[in-house]
Formats: sequence, C-alpha cells, structure tokens
Amino acid sequence: MNFENFRKTFFSLALLGLALLALYALWLRYEVRPTTRDGKVKADIVQVSPDVGGWVSSVLVRDNQAVKKGDVLLVIDQSRYQLARDEAEENLETQQTSLAQAIRENNRNHNLSTEVDTETIERGQEKVDLLKLAVAQAKTALGVAQLNLDRTVLRAPVNGIVSNMTLQPGDYLTAGHGIMAMVDTDSLRVEGYFEETKIPAVHVGDKAEVRLMGVADPIEGHVESIAAGVVDREREDAPNTLDNVNPSFTWVRLAQRIPVRIAIDHVPDNLPLIVGTTATIDIEPRPGEPSVRRSWPW
Amino acid sequence: MIDELDVFGTYMPAALVWAIIGGILAYITRLALQRLPLERFLWQTGLLDLALFFLFWWGVSALADILLPFVVAH
Repeated sequence: MNFENFRKTFFSLALLGLALLALYALWLRYEVRPTTRDGKVKADIVQVSPDVGGWVSSVLVRDNQAVKKGDVLLVIDQSRYQLARDEAEENLETQQTSLAQAIRENNRNHNLSTEVDTETIERGQEKVDLLKLAVAQAKTALGVAQLNLDRTVLRAPVNGIVSNMTLQPGDYLTAGHGIMAMVDTDSLRVEGYFEETKIPAVHVGDKAEVRLMGVADPIEGHVESIAAGVVDREREDAPNTLDNVNPSFTWVRLAQRIPVRIAIDHVPDNLPLIVGTTATIDIEPRPGEPSVRRSWPW
Repeated sequence: MIDELDVFGTYMPAALVWAIIGGILAYITRLALQRLPLERFLWQTGLLDLALFFLFWWGVSALADILLPFVVAH
C-alpha cells in the first residue's frame, strides 16, 4: 500500500511538472518573445502642391506611376507668367536707360563743377544712386518673374509613386493646395506597435523578420528606432487650466503600444510593398546585448 | 515564426488554432489510453489530461514554427 502511494505521488508530480514545463514554454513563446501582429508597411507621403496657380496645360504622369526626383509631373499654363517676365525685363531696361542718362548728366555736372552749383551736383549724384537701386530692384523683380515662370513646371519632389491623382488638363490649380499624393519610396519601412511589456526586449539594431499577410517569404530588416513617447490618454493637456484626469479604472488595464520602426534590408523578389498593408513582426534579440531584467506577468 | 492563420478570411492567432488541435489530439490519445489502469498510478487521472493537452499544444506550436515556413501555397 505504501509503495502504491509513493508510486502515485511520483507519477502525479511528474505529470504536473511536465504540464507546467509545457505551459512555461508556451508562455515564453507567445507572451515573452517580442513579436506583434500589428505591423504596417509605411512610407512618408508628400502632398504635392503647385507653387503658382493657373490652368493645367499638360499632365505628364498617370495615377500609380513611378517617378524619379525632378521628373516633370505637370505643366501649368505659362502665358501669364511669360508676359509677367517680359514686363519685368522691359522694366529693367527702362531703369537701365534712365540710369545711363543720369550718369551722363552727373558726369557733365562734375566736369563743369566750376559753373554748376553744388546743389545741382548733389541732386545729380542722388539721382544716379536712386536709379542704381531701381535697377537692382528691377533685376530682383525679373528674378521673381523668372522663378514664377519656372515653377509652372511642377517636378517630383522625391523618388516615389504618384498616388490618387485624377488631374486633367484644364483643371484650375490654386497655389499651395494639394493636388496629389506621392509615396516616397525611399522612405518605405515597416512600423510595428509593440506592447509596452515587450519593449524592454527590443533593441535598436536587432534583426527583425516581417511577414506580410499571405506572403510566405519574410522580409528581412532590423530595428531602426523606437518611439520616444506616446500620448497619455488619462490626461488632457490644456495649458492654463486645471488638470483633466480620467476617473480611475483599476480592475482591468491594457498595455499601451509603442511604435517601433523597422528598416527594410531585403525584400523577397517581385514583392510589391504597398503602404498600409498588414505585417507580423518577430524580433530576434541578439545574444549578449545589454538587457533589462523583465518581470513575470506582474 | 507564424503568428496568425487565415481561416476563410478571418486571421486568427495561431496559438488558438494550435490549442484546438492540441486539445483534439489529447482527447484522442486519452481515448486510446482508456484501457490502462491509470488510477493505480495517479492520484487524479485528470492530471494526465492536463499534461497531454499542454504537451500537445506546445508540441504542435513548436512543430508549426519549424515546419510552416517551408509550406508554400504554390
């Protein structure tokens, strides 16, 4: 009887130990490993807008077309800006002519200084100085007119892909108003929202394995940076007023999530990276890096 | 590492699916072991169910992590 009791205790404890061991392995795999299913492919979006207004005379790109930095996107009707430039040029010539005449008069006055009174000489000198300034101003005005004319040719500000563009020749554009979005393809990256409990295991430079939905081969990358902060949702920040802190909710609390930026090192062949698509991110902690002691589930 | 599975358009956490498979495997194994005189070896036969379930859950999940990356649709 005693032997059977011992046997029962032994096997029971052994099974309990096995169950706990398996549970521990599962917990390490799913709760401790820095991994998130909340990743997104991201890129900087440039809102392209014209610097001068006017009719669109020609559109040289189509929706979803890849362009290089500096490529012409569209041309705004140039007639008005061409005329403005001509006017500025003519104005400059006028001022230059006046200046030449003033200089001649001034020289004459100086040569006849014994017969011309001092006031007239000074007046002549003043006229020359003012007209020199007027010429400089006219030159600047010509520069501005030329700049406006140049800006009628709208160029791609970054390497990227034109997106959401429905512009047609004949549309009227207002300076400063966005007309299309460009996805800056040089800034393509993956961003993952990691629970704050997993952040201590994430270090800049760690290898990251990114899987897009439905794609078998992973994208390889590394942790580029970790966000320095997220908004405190318990408190509204309004200056010069009393603090507005939410009532406490102490029973259930959820981990905040912190954006972690993953730089892309290698993309599987032929895989297009589309901004906004969902990604699962696994981070491989490097052995021997300085680490934070992490708590158990408390 | 595979963290989610597509079940007819709904992406589920892989751990949940592995747990269901582990549970079924544990149930089948338990049926097969029904004939053994377990009560002579254990204080509580439920302990075996518990251990089998967690072991299968962990086993399926570890196996999937190793094998699934090699499974390609076409």
